[in-house]
Amino acid sequence: MDDAIKLVFDVAAFASIMVLVVSGLAVIASLMGIFNLGHGEFVLLGAYTVFLFREWGLPIWLGMMVAPLVVGAFGAGVERTVIRRLYAQPVIAMLATYAIGLIIREIVRGLIGGKYYAIEEPLSGAFQMGGISFSVWRTVIICATVVTMVGAWMFLTRSRTGLQIRGALENAALARASGVSTARLYALTFAMGAALAGLAGALMVPLFSLSADLGVRFLVQAFLSVMLGGIGTFGGPVVGGAMIGSMVPGFQWLREIPGVAEQVSPVVAEVLVFVTALIIVKFWPNGLISAGRK
Amino acid sequence: MALPGTPPRKQRKIMPILEVGVLVALLLVPLVTSDFHTIIASRMLLLAFLAISFDLCWGYSGIMTFGQALFFGMAGYVSALLANKAGFVQIWGIVPVSMAVGLVSAFLVGWFLLLGRRTPTIIFVALGTLTASYAAERLVAGWQWVGAANGMSVWDFLKVGPYEIEPGPTFYYIILGFLIVCYVASRWIVRSQFGLVLAGMRQNEERLAFFGYRVQRFKALVFSFAGMVTGLAGGLYAFHEGFIGPGNLGIVQSTYAVLYGLFGGVGTLLGPVLGVGAIEMIAFNLSDIDELKPYWPVVLGAIMLVVVTYRPTGITGFLVSTRERIGTFGLIRDAWRDRPKPDDGGSGGPA
Repeated sequence: MDDAIKLVFDVAAFASIMVLVVSGLAVIASLMGIFNLGHGEFVLLGAYTVFLFREWGLPIWLGMMVAPLVVGAFGAGVERTVIRRLYAQPVIAMLATYAIGLIIREIVRGLIGGKYYAIEEPLSGAFQMGGISFSVWRTVIICATVVTMVGAWMFLTRSRTGLQIRGALENAALARASGVSTARLYALTFAMGAALAGLAGALMVPLFSLSADLGVRFLVQAFLSVMLGGIGTFGGPVVGGAMIGSMVPGFQWLREIPGVAEQVSPVVAEVLVFVTALIIVKFWPNGLISAGRK
Repeated sequence: MALPGTPPRKQRKIMPILEVGVLVALLLVPLVTSDFHTIIASRMLLLAFLAISFDLCWGYSGIMTFGQALFFGMAGYVSALLANKAGFVQIWGIVPVSMAVGLVSAFLVGWFLLLGRRTPTIIFVALGTLTASYAAERLVAGWQWVGAANGMSVWDFLKVGPYEIEPGPTFYYIILGFLIVCYVASRWIVRSQFGLVLAGMRQNEERLAFFGYRVQRFKALVFSFAGMVTGLAGGLYAFHEGFIGPGNLGIVQSTYAVLYGLFGGVGTLLGPVLGVGAIEMIAFNLSDIDELKPYWPVVLGAIMLVVVTYRPTGITGFLVSTRERIGTFGLIRDAWRDRPKPDDGGSGGPA
């Protein structure tokens, strides 16, 4: 029983990270119809910011606070210089974001080399509850995700800007005709999506080690989550992210079943997650959440 | 279609001139350069297959493939395994096997991603190919039997009967021969009536579907053919480089395929070849400068960004007009031939 609770806790921590990554990706995809293929590298950028702070001798937690701002500002810059020109051609925009991702990834690779860097948790250790020990940092991740998601949901449903965003999502032309500046909304959304990616990257870097290819891995998983959940709703991508985020450690855990570990290596388990997700998406192309509505 | 009053003016075509020019230049390479440079050039030719196959997918049929290297690398691995585990290095066996591996694997991926009751979204296809390539790289890198992350070295040379083909002028001409065959075959396909359907799909896929064309099947066919083209190159690549590794079927190589195509100009078959030449030549010359070397991919990314944002037709766009790039499929000529003649009667209006 204790093991089961611990497992659920660990899975929840990984799922939280994925939810953060995915919500950033999904908010951009829903509103603008642009799938940001550089999103994984935004996550990487967030992780790298934390790494830089450590290199400079500044506290790591400060780096984690600053990372979303840095990545959000970067996202705003990208939107202003590149994406803005390509709203009419979402496919070309995808290629452009792919190129941006490539640039970020290779710059980071050039700066840190092909190495892996472990970054220690700012709040290490564990606390006891009911005789089970929980990692403090993973608890922080889960709480931060819940707070961010509730905040984002409040922002979208309660604030004026949130209303405008939902309006623009429903009917962009009508929103413009009603005097809402969709260009401003798009810029804001893109920056917000990037900031979420930065936050995710900063929070998860102590769990994974920092390497240049960190983003690719998250990109693939995040995209599968978005497609699994379906875009255009708030809940869909969150659920999709939680599913993929829990499948990845979940499939690894299945290897604990006696006799399976010899047959299935960790890599195979990871690939099986992708295959499962792709098969689900193949048969429910609109995603699991929106599938019932349309 | 509004008919011209005079026979269609003979267009001055630039494409054939370019094609012949490139062909002559390629034929001359081993004669005018050292063996060392010929080997570099052979490598570029092999990558040209990869670029052409990307172009067939993206430029001609709108399949956004971020995993084209998967088929290249798979064929390379199979032929390396044939050489290392079975000792089979005859070219008459390696080439068909490589092509078959490329064809079958591309067909399977295409079947899963493209065919089905519902039309797949472009992002699903892009992501599916990316995932396939990424997953394959991870799997191979963890698989000890095929050399894991270190890849596999191929020590044997490719053989024609008892003769060994070492990398050098002979190998170069063999590769060039295959490239010409693939180029001509691809050109024939995209300029045939089949290619006309592809051109229509590019313009308005939905309309073609309403005309009764099974659009997704056309895409799957092109995708399989493209896999075959790049598979052929992959098989030869393993022998030419004497090495095949996880990087050859992963994201990096697939990204290069995209870059070559976009930089050279998609929608022309010659464009990707020029793209490979340009990018690889710059890379080769820059690789001497050690400070720049780690940042070379950054430069590539920047080039890609600039090209997709400002110059979607790539470098061939500077030379070839859009009209020529798309081609006319004989429509103007046929329309002129079938024009209503004044003495036909019947269409003379109210008399």
